[in-house]
Amino acid sequence: MALIITNPPHLKSKVNTPFLMKQVIIALLPAVVASIYFFGIRAVMLIANCTLSAIITERIVLLLGKRPSTISDYSAAVTGLLLALTLPPSLPWYAATLGSIVAIGVGKHIFGGLGANIFNPALIGRAFLMAAYPKMLTTFIKPGSVDAISSATPLALRKFSQVITPASTLFFGKVSGSLGETSAICLIIGGLYLLIRKVAGWRIPLSLLLTTTITSAIFSLLNPNWGSVWFHLFGGGLLLGAFFMATDPVTTPTTKRGRYIFGIGCGVLIMIIRYFSGLPEGTMYSILFMNALTPLINRYTKPRRFGT
Amino acid sequence: MIKVAEYKEPQHNLSSEKFLSSSKLYLPLSQHTGGPSIPCVKKGDGVSEGEVIAKASGAISAQLHAPRKGKVIDIANWYHPTLKRAPAIILQCQDERKEYFPLKDKDIELLSKEKILETIATHGLVGMGGAAFPTHVKLDPPGKIDTLIINGCECEPYLTCDYRLMVENMNETFRGIRLICKLINPKEVIFAIEENKPAAIKKVNLLINTKKFDLPPMRSFVLNTAYPQGEEKQLIRVITKKKVPPKRLPLDIGCLVHNVATCFAIYEAVYLNKPLVERLVSFCGDALKSPKNIWVKIGTTLRELIDKKILEFKKEPKKIICGGPMMGTALDSLAYPILKSAGGFLFLADRVDDLKEEPCLRCSRCVDTCPMNLLPLEYVKRVRKEDYTSLSEFNIVDCTECGCCTYGCPAKIPIVHYIKIGKKYGFNNN
Repeated sequence: MALIITNPPHLKSKVNTPFLMKQVIIALLPAVVASIYFFGIRAVMLIANCTLSAIITERIVLLLGKRPSTISDYSAAVTGLLLALTLPPSLPWYAATLGSIVAIGVGKHIFGGLGANIFNPALIGRAFLMAAYPKMLTTFIKPGSVDAISSATPLALRKFSQVITPASTLFFGKVSGSLGETSAICLIIGGLYLLIRKVAGWRIPLSLLLTTTITSAIFSLLNPNWGSVWFHLFGGGLLLGAFFMATDPVTTPTTKRGRYIFGIGCGVLIMIIRYFSGLPEGTMYSILFMNALTPLINRYTKPRRFGT
Repeated sequence: MIKVAEYKEPQHNLSSEKFLSSSKLYLPLSQHTGGPSIPCVKKGDGVSEGEVIAKASGAISAQLHAPRKGKVIDIANWYHPTLKRAPAIILQCQDERKEYFPLKDKDIELLSKEKILETIATHGLVGMGGAAFPTHVKLDPPGKIDTLIINGCECEPYLTCDYRLMVENMNETFRGIRLICKLINPKEVIFAIEENKPAAIKKVNLLINTKKFDLPPMRSFVLNTAYPQGEEKQLIRVITKKKVPPKRLPLDIGCLVHNVATCFAIYEAVYLNKPLVERLVSFCGDALKSPKNIWVKIGTTLRELIDKKILEFKKEPKKIICGGPMMGTALDSLAYPILKSAGGFLFLADRVDDLKEEPCLRCSRCVDTCPMNLLPLEYVKRVRKEDYTSLSEFNIVDCTECGCCTYGCPAKIPIVHYIKIGKKYGFNNN
């Protein structure tokens, strides 16, 4: 009788890494469907391009490094998909591919691969493109248009033309912007799915969204031109960021108190950038900045010892 | 705390069985926390049932008794579930059973506190929930106990021996509780049971309401099923909302916790003058034809239970575990004997856990589920780097190795394994 000897516990839950990654993909499906509905073939091409480039890059890097494949855990696919959803539908294919390569190659594997990266890989990819092709990344087209009629995003309209898009339009979509940020309702459905299935923790999205809600409530009371609460919640990449980027386990704090701080920090930075900087939107930079602070936050938010 | 798959269904409603005719018994001298007992018999001696064969070796130690009439055939190293090999008294048994006759409640009333405590000490009682701390030491606390908690949680999956004991022997268990109350005189008694044991809850409430046991104010406390709620510090926290400070004992905050099986053993010791020589043990797992709860003599080996067809395999087991699946020890042979503290044995064929380890995602599921507010992932990171000195900064000594972190880890990292290594190499008394 050959018996297996291991340390306890001898019972483990069925939840594993591939399962979690698949759940994230499922949660993104409503936003994917909405983006295809609004932007048609462009959305399909961009999503396919980014996802496939990410998977292929992952495979090549692992092959070069002679490391066991992590392809099975779908994490590269999640990165590629998330990157696609942050990009403008009119982005040329080569820029999207390059973005994916940078996301996986630089954002993830330079730090040691899955679980070891400091910054959200998809946002590293986007930040790189923002620096390399600033014009392309800020040119948006009108949803549903056959020809690419360029159009400003709601946040840019507010900042540069003092035009406030109605919150209901933002809620259902049909505004220009990145693929995944046009429809608030789809992101909320996906986000709630993640929370209910316990794939993502609730502390970061809750504190982030509460912070933006409170800040925008105060500012809109001072002057309606700052934009209403709903406008700020549903506009731009806030929901995509709050539910899918700021909840990335790898790059966010591991302590409970740290996760509140992370969410509040992201929320404050997003509103500062939206209100007072030269950029109309700040979700990406806020999350990346807080990613950088994560080790520090972990260090100073160690949980209180039991019984003290 | 976490919800774990329970696997208690098949054995929940099975009445307990008896197998008290073991032919050979292996009795390790270390079956309790504290110093090993010192043998007071030698090879070739004949012993009668209930005779002391090894004496307590100090203040924290326990007596060991011959579970059956027989002959000492050797005192030698033998298999021990946690110590691997340890000195044991090996007994060849003869077919003769001793009958025990209970004293009357009114005779018990005449016993002094000292006499009761002495009986508990001389009858080799230890905590039967797993930790095996000598019972007489726990029942002679230096301070005042306000709250006595009777632990009927049995939060480990699979195991149902405490449940069956509560259903079948609740009257005797209450007599044991009565004796504890006589010794420590608590302000209140709380009987803690998880909601997945409805028949036991009914019995407890019935007996509390009859008030025939002359106990201090007593109530039942039905807890939501969660793991590791049966662990002493967690149980105290859930019931009293008080937390036992680090390196302190429950009695420092006026609490005392006793397992139901220990209460029953106290009854047997005092009423029947019967030392701790047998116990109820759960045998379960998907390798067995049918799970069973069996009264067995301490020292009976698993092999004897298999050879005598008391337990039958349906499939060849891949893993044999002494204890529950969350904290039990994996065994490499059937030669291991049943100890005083062993509440169960698992024989697993298909339900063997996944061993493939993937990179940590820092998802903090281990942090969120840790009942001791620790950061388990930090231990893994540091032990992998062989950085043992920084472990005390993260209060590794507080870890009770309950296994919640490892249960929920999506990367299937054996976190408890790393913690055990960390404790071994980085132990200091912080």
